[in-house]
Amino acid sequence: MPGKGTRREDATEPGTFASLPLNKEELNSKIKEQKVVVDELSNLKKNRKVYKQQPNSNIFFLSDRTEMLSESKNTLDELKKVHQEIENTEKNKIKK
Amino acid sequence: MEAQPRPSLAAAAAASSTQPLRSEHVARLREEQEKVVTGCQEKIQHWRKVEHDYEALQERLSTLPDKLSYDIMVPFGPLAFMPGQLVSTNEVTVLLGDNWFCKCSAKQAVGLVEHRKKHVRKALDDLKKVMKNFESRVEFTEDLKRMSDAAGDIVDIREDIKNDIEVKGKHRTAHKPHSKPKTLDVFEADFVDDSKSKDNFLSEKELWARLDELERQEDLLGELSRKSDTLFANGEDMTSSEEEKEDQKTDVMKHRITDSFTQGSFQKDITNSKLLNGQVNGSSSYSNDDDDDDDDLGVGDNSVPTIYFSHTVEPKRVRINTGKNTTLKFSEKKEEAKRKRRNSNGNSSHCIPELPNIRTPADVYRVFVDVVNGEYVPRKSILKSRSRENSVCSDTSESSAAELEDRRGGIRSLSHDEAACSDASEGILEEEEDEHENQQKKLLSLSGKLEAFSGTVIEKELLSPIIPHPGTVHPALPTIPERKEVLTEVSEETTKRISKFKAARLQQRN
Repeated sequence: MPGKGTRREDATEPGTFASLPLNKEELNSKIKEQKVVVDELSNLKKNRKVYKQQPNSNIFFLSDRTEMLSESKNTLDELKKVHQEIENTEKNKIKK
Repeated sequence: MEAQPRPSLAAAAAASSTQPLRSEHVARLREEQEKVVTGCQEKIQHWRKVEHDYEALQERLSTLPDKLSYDIMVPFGPLAFMPGQLVSTNEVTVLLGDNWFCKCSAKQAVGLVEHRKKHVRKALDDLKKVMKNFESRVEFTEDLKRMSDAAGDIVDIREDIKNDIEVKGKHRTAHKPHSKPKTLDVFEADFVDDSKSKDNFLSEKELWARLDELERQEDLLGELSRKSDTLFANGEDMTSSEEEKEDQKTDVMKHRITDSFTQGSFQKDITNSKLLNGQVNGSSSYSNDDDDDDDDLGVGDNSVPTIYFSHTVEPKRVRINTGKNTTLKFSEKKEEAKRKRRNSNGNSSHCIPELPNIRTPADVYRVFVDVVNGEYVPRKSILKSRSRENSVCSDTSESSAAELEDRRGGIRSLSHDEAACSDASEGILEEEEDEHENQQKKLLSLSGKLEAFSGTVIEKELLSPIIPHPGTVHPALPTIPERKEVLTEVSEETTKRISKFKAARLQQRN
């Protein structure tokens, strides 16, 4: 209950790993989302509850705030990596 | 989805074959193909999402039983939630489809999820393949478009191809009358259709004539080959047999006579189908009376076929045991045996009625007393027959194996007939004296009644002919068919061993 606002509905996050080969635009939007999530989680009071949505369903599982923070940071890093790779390949193509 | 672009492609191909590619068509083709590709991509995206969902579900299911209960926000409609607890974590209802659910454990649910993921992956692979295929098609159509854009070269090439086709057609027309010089044919073809048809007709006639010739040749060749084959088979044996005979010390003359005789008969009967049968029978079962009868009835010169057969068959046995000499003898023996059979068959009346003749001691005496040069020479014992001694001589000379002894008897008889020109004992020649015939009949009757006896008797008779005595009477000879019988063969075999020693003595004497 207390963690009302911190319900993380972007539980599709992990999905981003599986669907790495996305468009650059989608990737950018996802990166933006993830940045927001990380900011929100890092700004939460310690007694707030954090729920994680089970993907493809409407159930929210209670989870640990710090865990979620670290997880979302990891996903953000992954997304940035992918973004970087895509940009590099595009540059190479342009050079060629 | 796939079917749509294909017709367009086919249409484009057809268009390209008939007329230069139109950039519009090619562009449309490419458009359709790209549509397919994008559709595939969307599907792949969808399936990827499904796969991902399943993966998440699987992960959740695999960890769900780890705890007894979970604190969750229970959805209360799409927008409202209320805190709650998730209990019975190891109990899941799975949608099987069509609103049927199945209650199972989390682990089983994981298995189900894995199965569905497999299906999803398969669909993904198929879609990827389709996409690749159409991507390559898109590339091809792009090339096509480029080519059609730079139209000049392509047009030239096509003209060349047309020319080639025309040339080919001309060639084909010219080829038909090819039997005649090409120029003439062409001219005729160009000017008059009738002439062309005539040419064709002539050519057909020629063709048929040629075919007939070939057929005739084939027939001739076929006959020749058959004859040659038969001759070869026999001829080899004969030659070998002849050589062997020459080598033989004692019966050289006799053998030669028999050989010549056999060859002549052989050639006569080559064409006879009966010969083959006789050969077959002879090979399969030398001792068969039925075979003999067939030979006699079927062909007057059946002896030839039988010879033929025997030659072919004999070499194998002979070579295994003793060598060519034995083979030669065998063949001769076979011929003789066959002749005897014929004669016996021809005189078949003799054999059957003769059997009852030996019913008195006198008959036995007649049967077992040999007539040498018109004189009666009693045998030392019925079991010990001169014929064996004689046969021994022949064996030594021939160096034949024990197996051949049966045949030897026949051979000996032959040698007698030909050498002495009057061996009634064998019954081979109708010229044989009545006395001989009677004796033979007696022998036959004896053999018919007592098989063991008949076998021994035969041996004796055979032996007697070996020592060429024109006047000698050999009653046993007519029993040749009996020899063929297994019993006789056995007795002969037993006698063979003894005969070898005796044969050696006889050879020395000769």
